[in-house]
Amino acid sequence: MMLAFNLLRRNWRSGELKLLGFSLLLAVAVLSGISIFTNRLESTLISESNSVLGADYIVRGSQPHNPDWPAAAAKDNIQQTQAALFSSMVFAGDEMHLASVKAVDSGYPLRGQFEISRVPFAMNLADIEIAKTIPAPGEAWVDSRLLPLLKIQLGDKVAVGEYELKVTQVLIREPDSANPFSMTGARLIMNIADLEKTQVVQPGSRVDYQWLIASDNIGQLKAFVDQLKPLLNKHQRLIDIDSAQERVGRTLKTSRQFLLLSAVIAVLLAGVAIAITARQFSARHTDQVALMKSLGAGAVQIRTLYFSQLLLLGIIASLIGLVFGDLLQRTVATSLQQVYQIRLGAASFYPYGLSFFSGLMCLVFFALPALWYLPAVPPLKILRRELAVNMPQVWMQAALALFAVLTLVILFSRDLELALSISGALLTVIVVTIIAAYGLLALSKKMVLRLGGFWRLAFANLQRQRGQSLIQILVFSIAIMLLFTMTIVRTSLIEEWKVQVPDDAPNHFLVNIPPAELSQVQALLEKNKVRPEPLYPMMRARLTHINGVETTEEQRSLANALRRELNVTWAETLAADNKILEGFWWDKWQRSAANLPGVSVEVDTAKEIGLKIGDKLQFSFGGLLLDAEVASFRSLDWRSMRPNFFFIFEPGSLDTYSPTFITSIYLPTQQKSFINQLLLDHPTILVMELDRIIEQIRSIIDQVSDGVLLVLWLTLIGGCLVLLAAVMGSIAARKQQAGLLRALGSPRQLIVGSICAEFAILGFLAGLIAIVGTELLLISLQKFVLETAIQPHYIFWLISPLSGAVFVSALGYICCRHVVTTPPAVVLREAA
Amino acid sequence: MSAVAMVQANSVTKQVSTQEGNLTILHPISISVMAGESLAITGASGSGKSTLLGILAGLDVPSNGEVILNGHNLSQLDEEGRAKVRAGNVGFIFQSFQLLPGLSAHENVMLPLELRGDKAAGSKAREFLERVGLAQRLHHYPQQLSGGEQQRVAIARAFASEPKVLFADEPTGNLDSTTGARIIELLFELNRAQGTTLILITHEERLAQLCNRRIELAAGSIVSGRE
Repeated sequence: MMLAFNLLRRNWRSGELKLLGFSLLLAVAVLSGISIFTNRLESTLISESNSVLGADYIVRGSQPHNPDWPAAAAKDNIQQTQAALFSSMVFAGDEMHLASVKAVDSGYPLRGQFEISRVPFAMNLADIEIAKTIPAPGEAWVDSRLLPLLKIQLGDKVAVGEYELKVTQVLIREPDSANPFSMTGARLIMNIADLEKTQVVQPGSRVDYQWLIASDNIGQLKAFVDQLKPLLNKHQRLIDIDSAQERVGRTLKTSRQFLLLSAVIAVLLAGVAIAITARQFSARHTDQVALMKSLGAGAVQIRTLYFSQLLLLGIIASLIGLVFGDLLQRTVATSLQQVYQIRLGAASFYPYGLSFFSGLMCLVFFALPALWYLPAVPPLKILRRELAVNMPQVWMQAALALFAVLTLVILFSRDLELALSISGALLTVIVVTIIAAYGLLALSKKMVLRLGGFWRLAFANLQRQRGQSLIQILVFSIAIMLLFTMTIVRTSLIEEWKVQVPDDAPNHFLVNIPPAELSQVQALLEKNKVRPEPLYPMMRARLTHINGVETTEEQRSLANALRRELNVTWAETLAADNKILEGFWWDKWQRSAANLPGVSVEVDTAKEIGLKIGDKLQFSFGGLLLDAEVASFRSLDWRSMRPNFFFIFEPGSLDTYSPTFITSIYLPTQQKSFINQLLLDHPTILVMELDRIIEQIRSIIDQVSDGVLLVLWLTLIGGCLVLLAAVMGSIAARKQQAGLLRALGSPRQLIVGSICAEFAILGFLAGLIAIVGTELLLISLQKFVLETAIQPHYIFWLISPLSGAVFVSALGYICCRHVVTTPPAVVLREAA
Repeated sequence: MSAVAMVQANSVTKQVSTQEGNLTILHPISISVMAGESLAITGASGSGKSTLLGILAGLDVPSNGEVILNGHNLSQLDEEGRAKVRAGNVGFIFQSFQLLPGLSAHENVMLPLELRGDKAAGSKAREFLERVGLAQRLHHYPQQLSGGEQQRVAIARAFASEPKVLFADEPTGNLDSTTGARIIELLFELNRAQGTTLILITHEERLAQLCNRRIELAAGSIVSGRE
């Protein structure tokens, strides 16, 4: 081992292992940097996003949770609390209001916080405080608008059922502010200990029971939730951030996938560099091994010596890589924390361990195959240099490398689709590259005869070393392809995210606008230069019968839409982000013989209930019945910040029912006080503030974009290493040729020109092939992994070959420039 | 001179298969080299000198016949076994020096000693470099040394492991005549001092004459100096 260490030290000093070591170090640094950062970001983002939910997970149902669960959760150190939500009339003197009551237990919320104030409609930060507890028994916190609605002040009492609560605070914000469309009443928060005294909750009462859980140990929490899932009955549903906040969930998912993809690509590039340098290393060491064998070293000793060197190098480079990776993620994390005032949580041990392991794995799969044949080098080679040695087949090395990549992707992402699409696309690209490179090289043969000067020399060189040219094109094109893929994916992802949340997207919903106040509200909006989205009439109705049969308990347990009152509307025109998937919109739809008004149903809801086009539905509008026929199924875009409805009726069919109105508006931060004015004048209106969620999504996008940019730079370094490794491999032969040409009197320009031209041709061909590969890889990524729109990238068809030519020839020039500045005799002697 | 044969070849042949069929490189050759004796193998290019040297040194195996080196029948050993025999008995000097470019002169000389696990590798290597007159060049790399100096390092490396037999393949082939003469002088001086058996291939008449014995090969057979 000591000899292996000494040899490693000497080989390192001689520069032979530097590129190999740096490639490995880079691979581990990038992998660990990204995976540690992602791990931290993920845990932070999840807990940030979960503050919208009030917990990491909520079990929600019409019955209280199983009494055994809290003990099981406590055993796993999982935080928990509970809440009960229901609508109830609250009274103060002669005034009453149907409030949305939330009775909470101590510890609520587990994520996020209540913001309370002693000043109704407080906007000023100085007036708002973060609640450290929940309302004490006998107390209530209420929405500001409840005060004018009930004509009360702070300190007055309100009656909830049979129990009186003293209003001690105004509620400014709460986590899990829930769906504004199902909550039309003002919020009242009370202590769950008082719930029984109100006598409001009776058997058959409609109560939404919530059991909230959270833990900083994500793994343990997930395990607990996995155990919990099969125990849920049909009345209970598990809510997490993905289901509660589709937008945040989706952004999280794609950003995680992108970061992982970058990590894998960086590793792949570093891996290619490792494989090439290892091949060069072992080619150079063939003579050394023959010498050592002639000096009496056996195959076993050679194997031990070289593999130990590799292992030592792997351990040292991986450890240093880990330190760099950690520094890297700390740097990004610190700048993020300064810019966004977000405290990132600590990373678990997992990404550190995994990155270190990956470093060794890279070495085993990328470098070891190249060294495998060394112990079998015959000692006779020392006397007869022409003796052939069985170098490992390139395809075998490629197959092992592909296997390593696949394993790494699966280990890091635990996403088989991602792994398969990357590997599949890579394999295709390699095959396409080989065919294309052969074709292009054959084509270039004809060029030789037509050209003069250094171009002729360059083309002739490419032809002479066809095998080497092919491998170089393959390597260059893979590097260029991966770099462009990263760049394009990053740009399109960020664009897609930005489109999801445009700057002037509506950020407030105004719900429950009474028809009598409609014109006043419109005037007020106009006066304050607030442009609303269209106003939709909205009515609450319950779907009671399907094809003349009353819905059963069974159906209700399966379909959310049958359990609660629905918000329905009518509309003349189809909203731009809605799409008819089956049936017809009103302009083409014909009433059937039954002559019932038509209703268009959101497609997922229709599936959940099990509806068909032409089904007859009966709705109850507060006791008034309406029959309608299913006219169409419709998809809608939940990501748009616009009012969306599950059921849209034919115009005119709801004329006999009195609607309220709903709209969404965009309010810039400086105009926020408009809400107070609106609520003071129109206390029945419910305002849903989406601006905080939008802000949160933006901040996540910004954070991830910054991280992604850094990762892109690291990948670029990986790409340069690959190019460097490939160029370095051919340098000895080039030196020799240049020395010979110089000795024969060729001018300097001809030699430099031919070297640059040769690399420019290689780079150009590689760039051309790379862009085809990039498009292929993107199609598979966009279709199967990122689920974004597939589109060609015309500009890159120009950029790729040109930048390939410029970059590779520049690199070639830098590496080979001294072959013309050193005296030919020295060059020839060195090369010999 | 001792009567013990250090290297004994009995009816050694070598054939290789080519596209045109089997090609005989060595016809049956038998030679015996006594301990401490020096033997020059001469002949034109392609006469089979290097092949014979490779077989005698245990770097290659004969197609027929046997080679006994310091009492070890190489024909009965596998490559691992032959490596062990080489480690304890054999040293080499090559025409192209075969120094490792990444290692200093000192480290190049240390290498065979280290491979044998010799704890005193460093001091022994230094001592031999001093003996070949390169005390001032210990930490120089091969490309910083002249051809003659490089071959001195190779000689130091060959003698440092105190081999019983030294095989030299055209040791002066890459050197001018003055430098070559000095190298020959050094080689024989060390050979005498160490009592090493020396088997060398050479084109140089002067070098061949310095050896106790010479054989000449032509087309894979010994044409003069036959035993």
